[in-house]
Amino acid sequence: MAVISRTLLLTLLLALVALLSASSSSTSSLFAQAQPQNDNEALLQKKVSRLEAKAAKNKGVIQLDSLAFEDVMAKPRNYSMVVLFTAISPEFNCVPCLNFDPEYKMVAAGWSKLANKSQLFFSILDFKAGQAIFQKFGMNSAPSVLYFPSSSSISGDPSQDRYDFGKSGFQAEPFAAWLQARSGIRVPVQRPFDFMGLAVKVLGTFTAVLAVTLFARKGRKIFTSKYFWSTISMIIIFVMISGHMWNQIRNPPYSMPTQQGRSGFIASGFQNQFGLETQIIAVLYSLLTGATIGLIAVVPRIENTVGQRAAVWVCMGMFTLVFSILIQVFKLKNPGYPFTLMFR
Amino acid sequence: MSTESSSTVARVLKPTILILIAIVAISSRLFSIIRFESVIHEFDPWFNYRTTQHLVKNGFYDFWNWFDEKSWYPLGRVVGGTVYPGIMVTSALIHNVLHFFNFPVDIRNVCVFLAPMFSGLTAFSAYLLTKELKDSSAGLLAAAFLGVAPGYISRSVAGSYDNEGIAIFLLVFTFYLWIKAVKTGSAFFGLLTALFYFYMVSAWGGYVFITNLVPLHAFTLLLMGRYSNRLYVSYSTFYAVGTLLSMQIPFVGFQPTRTSEHMAALGVFGLLQLYAFAELVRGYIPPKQFRTLLKGGVAAVAVIASFGLTILSFSGVIAPFTGRFYSLYDTGYAKIHIPIIASVSEHQPTAWTSFFFDLQMLIFLFPAGVYLCFKELKDEHVFIILYSVFASYFAGVMVRLMLTLTPVVCVSAAIAYSTLLDTYLETSEHVLASTKPVIVAAPPAPAVIEAPTAATSEAKAAGKKAAAKAAAAAAAAAAKSTDADAKAQAKSAVASGEKKRFPIFNLDSRLLVILQLTWFLFMFAWHCTYVTSGSYSSPSIVLASRQHDGSQMIIDDFREAYYWLRKNTKEDAKVMSWWDYGYQMAGMANVTTLVDNNTWNNTHIATVGKAMSTSEEVSYKVLRQHDVDYVLILFGGVIGYSGDDINKFLWMIRIAEGVYPNEVKETNFFTPRGEYKVDHDATKTMRESLMYKMSYYRFAELYGGGNAVDHVRNARMPAEGPTLSVLEEAYTTENWLVRIYKVKDLDNLGRDLKDSTAFDKGRVRKVSSLKKK
Repeated sequence: MAVISRTLLLTLLLALVALLSASSSSTSSLFAQAQPQNDNEALLQKKVSRLEAKAAKNKGVIQLDSLAFEDVMAKPRNYSMVVLFTAISPEFNCVPCLNFDPEYKMVAAGWSKLANKSQLFFSILDFKAGQAIFQKFGMNSAPSVLYFPSSSSISGDPSQDRYDFGKSGFQAEPFAAWLQARSGIRVPVQRPFDFMGLAVKVLGTFTAVLAVTLFARKGRKIFTSKYFWSTISMIIIFVMISGHMWNQIRNPPYSMPTQQGRSGFIASGFQNQFGLETQIIAVLYSLLTGATIGLIAVVPRIENTVGQRAAVWVCMGMFTLVFSILIQVFKLKNPGYPFTLMFR
Repeated sequence: MSTESSSTVARVLKPTILILIAIVAISSRLFSIIRFESVIHEFDPWFNYRTTQHLVKNGFYDFWNWFDEKSWYPLGRVVGGTVYPGIMVTSALIHNVLHFFNFPVDIRNVCVFLAPMFSGLTAFSAYLLTKELKDSSAGLLAAAFLGVAPGYISRSVAGSYDNEGIAIFLLVFTFYLWIKAVKTGSAFFGLLTALFYFYMVSAWGGYVFITNLVPLHAFTLLLMGRYSNRLYVSYSTFYAVGTLLSMQIPFVGFQPTRTSEHMAALGVFGLLQLYAFAELVRGYIPPKQFRTLLKGGVAAVAVIASFGLTILSFSGVIAPFTGRFYSLYDTGYAKIHIPIIASVSEHQPTAWTSFFFDLQMLIFLFPAGVYLCFKELKDEHVFIILYSVFASYFAGVMVRLMLTLTPVVCVSAAIAYSTLLDTYLETSEHVLASTKPVIVAAPPAPAVIEAPTAATSEAKAAGKKAAAKAAAAAAAAAAKSTDADAKAQAKSAVASGEKKRFPIFNLDSRLLVILQLTWFLFMFAWHCTYVTSGSYSSPSIVLASRQHDGSQMIIDDFREAYYWLRKNTKEDAKVMSWWDYGYQMAGMANVTTLVDNNTWNNTHIATVGKAMSTSEEVSYKVLRQHDVDYVLILFGGVIGYSGDDINKFLWMIRIAEGVYPNEVKETNFFTPRGEYKVDHDATKTMRESLMYKMSYYRFAELYGGGNAVDHVRNARMPAEGPTLSVLEEAYTTENWLVRIYKVKDLDNLGRDLKDSTAFDKGRVRKVSSLKKK
């Protein structure tokens, strides 16, 4: 009995010692680690200040290449990064990249004026400088914007780290709103005052006023002439009835390359059209209207019998021909349409 | 033939032709009734039908105060204050009159045939309108065109009991009365315009078009220096009476004094009063003092008006543009801010094919008619020109507004066509004898130009000395002449004498033109019949398809499902569905709905969208919160009906995301390649969404396990279909078009519904789930 109790006591003692030693060793290791972490922090601090300097040099935007990207992305980091993957060089002919570039830079410039600018850095990685990174992220289209939260923050929904151009568009405001929603940091957008636009407007108004005062008589004649107004009205009507507003809203391509015998300027499908197609239709309509007006207004003015007959035949011929072409074009859009005029 | 006897013949012919046109207009709208049966065919009109039934059954006052607790559950809807009651009151009136004379006509038939009947009246008003612009032969052509033009038929076939059915008649007739009022300057016609305007306000939201077009006409006439007492009397009568009357409709209320849509009318009214006052003062004081007074007055009015407007709009008394209206001007606005507006197919822009499809040859005769209006350019022609330009813009922005363009296209094309006929049918004696103003093609003499010139610049640069001088001179000249119109006409007659017109000399030219034109008319008629019969007469509640042997197959799943709901659910059952089917369900199945076609509450619709697009657990909470008993969806995968809910699903997601951005995300429904897929490639979120599960539940079983193909999306479906635990299938119609699911009650043993379902299926519960408890 006593033996057992003694051994028990011994083991207890042993355990106590072990525990103590363990705790002391852990504290010692803590002390030992403190030094490198301080180093790390100093390094990080250095990196941040370097980044700040870089950003300050370039109006808040850091230009990256593959190496710099890896360096900047290295963990741990106490800042968030926004990276714009783009291809600005003219040989890529990336129009959206060019469109988005000034908007992106505007947001970055606005950000760099704030006090908490070291929380978040804006950077640009051009395809030319960072092909490796493009490959690493599987980017096969530009522009793309990715958000990299700081390593300490709880990264929320990683599926939202890519900015959706298709949905939100290329404007600075929705981009900043996305960034704010994603990072929780308020990102203001201050559009720089458009001096150029103002100058153009002022100059334009001035010129217009000048022109009106200088050519008051002539101008007045133009503005009160019904030919002027009738021309404008007719143009508006032709533009509208040939489906121009559809193009405005839907932004279809102007035309497509012709392939497999399908013409490239008439879109297939009843509710679809190309830019060129509407122009063709507008021309057809105006020819038809022109022929009608010719028959009404021009023909009865011709005194010469032969001339009049010729004019009637020309107008009516044009009318019938263009109308048949129009129906033919319509049949392309709506293959089931049963009527034809001249062509089968 | 002597002129007398020919006029007698014309007197008999005209009414006969008009009656024939009305008969044609009515009968060409009956395809759907003859092919199927006399029922309301579309989705939206079921609400109108239901309210009309209520009105007939319970009387006007009960209708006016009706609170409908069966829609927008749990919110309910104040029907009297949120509808345009015109169409319901009209049908109830017709119904009651017929019953008074002991014609026991069912209200359903009155509703079904209302739009075709009114189309006859529309044709007649087009005749009247065009007669004011040119002559009665052009009027007859316009009536015939409007009677059969597909652009108007599209919304007025029998069985489509919608506001537009009577509204287009009211639109055209109000415009006729307005032109008559401007021409005669009589307060009587101004009053009639106001009365019919009131009727229009009570019938359709499109009345805003009248409220803006008429003031625009008045304003343009003012700018052209055509101010006259006729204009003053007609516009003031119309505006004062019309606005007061329109405010009697509860849905409109105080809008005419507040919203920007109505401000133009108010502004022009004020301007006309000021102008008239200035005219009055001018008569009493010498010109020099008057000029000083005018300058001061104009400046004071401008300052006061701009101050007032700024203060009012900033303090919120004047509301900004409402969303639907705003989307007409800034076409990108709706897409970004209000997906619910963008989601309605009627609000899509118009492709050129739609113009041609709806109006065929009229669409290019129309500009020629506008050209002829410019040649005449009397007050009423100015109106038609303005109408043409604005309506073609609006029709381009929104497919639905093709309806407002169609009347003016018909009128204008009729003017062009009948001028052609006049030119090529006239015999030479006729031309020499008559001085018909029809084919007068006179550029106005310089003196005529001068008057509008001065007045226009006066309005544009009121402060300018020279302009004021010229204006005074012009106004003095106008004051001297008692009737400026007569003078202008005389002048243009003189001018026309200078520019000679000759008859068409050769018979062959005449024959060529006339025969061709007649042939085109035939083609137009064929086209209209083809379009009406093929495209605008297929009802959406009954679908028809041709089988391989050519026989017709009727797909009547909607009514089957609604009938099932009516007979098999308790009276206060709440059925959730996407808003498109709300009105129909309320009308045909007599159940309580959560959302319907009256899309006034975006949040509520988004909540339904959320319930459809989230996982079972999340949406079950929503379903329980809203006391939903059944969920109804459309699924076209079996028969290839493309208008089903999976195809509308993206809109549900988008609308839900607008309100619940954290719970619903559109991107999660797209594959990494950005495709919208329902087969093996479908994303996890997609496969877990309630809508997906409901659509494809037991779908694979239909194909015996393998080779399940969705015929709408041409997708090969996985053999293992989705499982449901919070819903159970209640009913699926013959062709699987409508599927109804019952929402399960909470489990009796307090288990998770997922577990209890698994238990019922005989599966052993997993050890892990046992451990947790």
